[in-house]
Amino acid sequence: MSTEERRIVVLRSSDEEIFEVDIDVASESQTIKHSIEDDDSGRVIPVPNVDGHTLAKVIEYCKKHVETPRSDDRDAQDALRAWDTEYMKIDQNTLFELILAANYLNIKGLLDLTCQTVADMIKGKSPEEIRAMFNIKNDFTPQEEEDIRKENQWAFE
Amino acid sequence: MELGKDFLDSLDIDTSVKVLMYLDDPCDVVRVGSVSHFWRDFVISNSVCKQLCLRLFPQLSSLVRVVDITDRAGMPAEAGSSRSIEWEHEDREHKIYASLAWGLTSSEVSDCISEAISASSTDNYPEESIHNTLEPMDRVGRRASYWSSSGQRNPAVPEKLTYKLVSDFCVVTEISVQPFQAFFQAYSPIYSAKAVRFRMGHQLFSDDSDSDQIMEGTQPADNQFVWTYTSPEFPMAQENSLQKFKLPQPVLCIGGFLQIELLGRVQTQEMDGLFYICVAHVQVVGRSLSPVFVAEILDPSGKFILKYNPKAKFSAPCAGEDHPDQVHGTPTVAPEIVHRQVRGWEQILNLLRGNLGVGAYDFDDEHHESDDEELAVQFIP
Repeated sequence: MSTEERRIVVLRSSDEEIFEVDIDVASESQTIKHSIEDDDSGRVIPVPNVDGHTLAKVIEYCKKHVETPRSDDRDAQDALRAWDTEYMKIDQNTLFELILAANYLNIKGLLDLTCQTVADMIKGKSPEEIRAMFNIKNDFTPQEEEDIRKENQWAFE
Repeated sequence: MELGKDFLDSLDIDTSVKVLMYLDDPCDVVRVGSVSHFWRDFVISNSVCKQLCLRLFPQLSSLVRVVDITDRAGMPAEAGSSRSIEWEHEDREHKIYASLAWGLTSSEVSDCISEAISASSTDNYPEESIHNTLEPMDRVGRRASYWSSSGQRNPAVPEKLTYKLVSDFCVVTEISVQPFQAFFQAYSPIYSAKAVRFRMGHQLFSDDSDSDQIMEGTQPADNQFVWTYTSPEFPMAQENSLQKFKLPQPVLCIGGFLQIELLGRVQTQEMDGLFYICVAHVQVVGRSLSPVFVAEILDPSGKFILKYNPKAKFSAPCAGEDHPDQVHGTPTVAPEIVHRQVRGWEQILNLLRGNLGVGAYDFDDEHHESDDEELAVQFIP
């Protein structure tokens, strides 16, 4: 291995794409971090559950969060949050792949962010709107739907 | 238009639950439970409503169980019983917790104090008693209306004011305290405290009738109450204004008792050089969940069960007239004298004796021949 200050880790996605990543960035993932600790030989680390497109997106998140110093500064926090919001402007498919990846790679911040994003999509929506958004079939009979509405009428006003 | 994905079905349970835990409005949780059979089953079997309640109000951790009082079907499922009985139990719980979640977050907000119970000290009883703090004005007629502590050489000696709320199960959002400005003294000193802190909890006795035993004007034995919540300290300004202290999060008061701690004295009385704390008015704002939910405390630690009455409605709490579920031993006072059940017998007697007490009637100068002392508006040493 080189004696450079910044060590590089090589990740391989499920579709054989290769990513060279700073060790600090890669270590945002607890899964990868443990993998490195167990075997420091510098071989390629396979990430079988995550495809190249998603892995690139994950790395983008980790990079930004590693580069941004932790600070109590309100403006800095707002700026990072704004970046997160922009970052989350993705299609649903990518969003769910990201959740699965964050879960598998054990990246707490990314998992929280993605789950929060899905919850935000649900907030304030009627059941019909939620069904439309996530392509869910309404398998209630009209009577069942009526009963459910009556049960907690306040939620549907 | 992209094709969506039923994520509840495709993600693992823990992650799906994680997503739903970000919903903090009970309306959203209920609507999620109305999307499809699968979504409804998921919400019910993962107790999403219950988790929401616990997250918003950690005070609920002392809750042992909820009981629907109209449910004649019998006891909750025992461990090891069949899946369908367990399901029915979860379904019932879901309904109750959904209603609880709404009550806790969205029912009507209003005044929550039912009566003043006691003060740690009172300089002149009953003229300067804690009951005056329920009167919004700092004077009634010609008479100043405020509570005064006894005097102290040491400004660090705190005081405590204890109140009963309109029900045993109340969410408190905001507490306001107005220190008293002695307008009749030179330089109109304001007898505020340095800081305030709030406690909430329940009485040690399980029997309601024992609340009568807390004598007015006497020192409350601190061991009469168990305080299950203590707020942070809030600095108090030395200003004659109704100061609002907003709790960091709304707090569920289980047991119906609230105590205001007045920490640190700032003002001495010129006449005797002692430090006093005086309060003109106290107000507690929140939501009462009775009669829909009634708490029954099981043991001194505060473990309780909740009795749910689905036939009842969440009503705006009003201390006094039409609150049928209130069981307090306090006497009802004639409406022309007071609007709330706040005055004790001593004060009524004072009024009847012709002393100028706290009453909402016009003071007539002719009446003062027999009771000169009481009528002169002065700070009674």
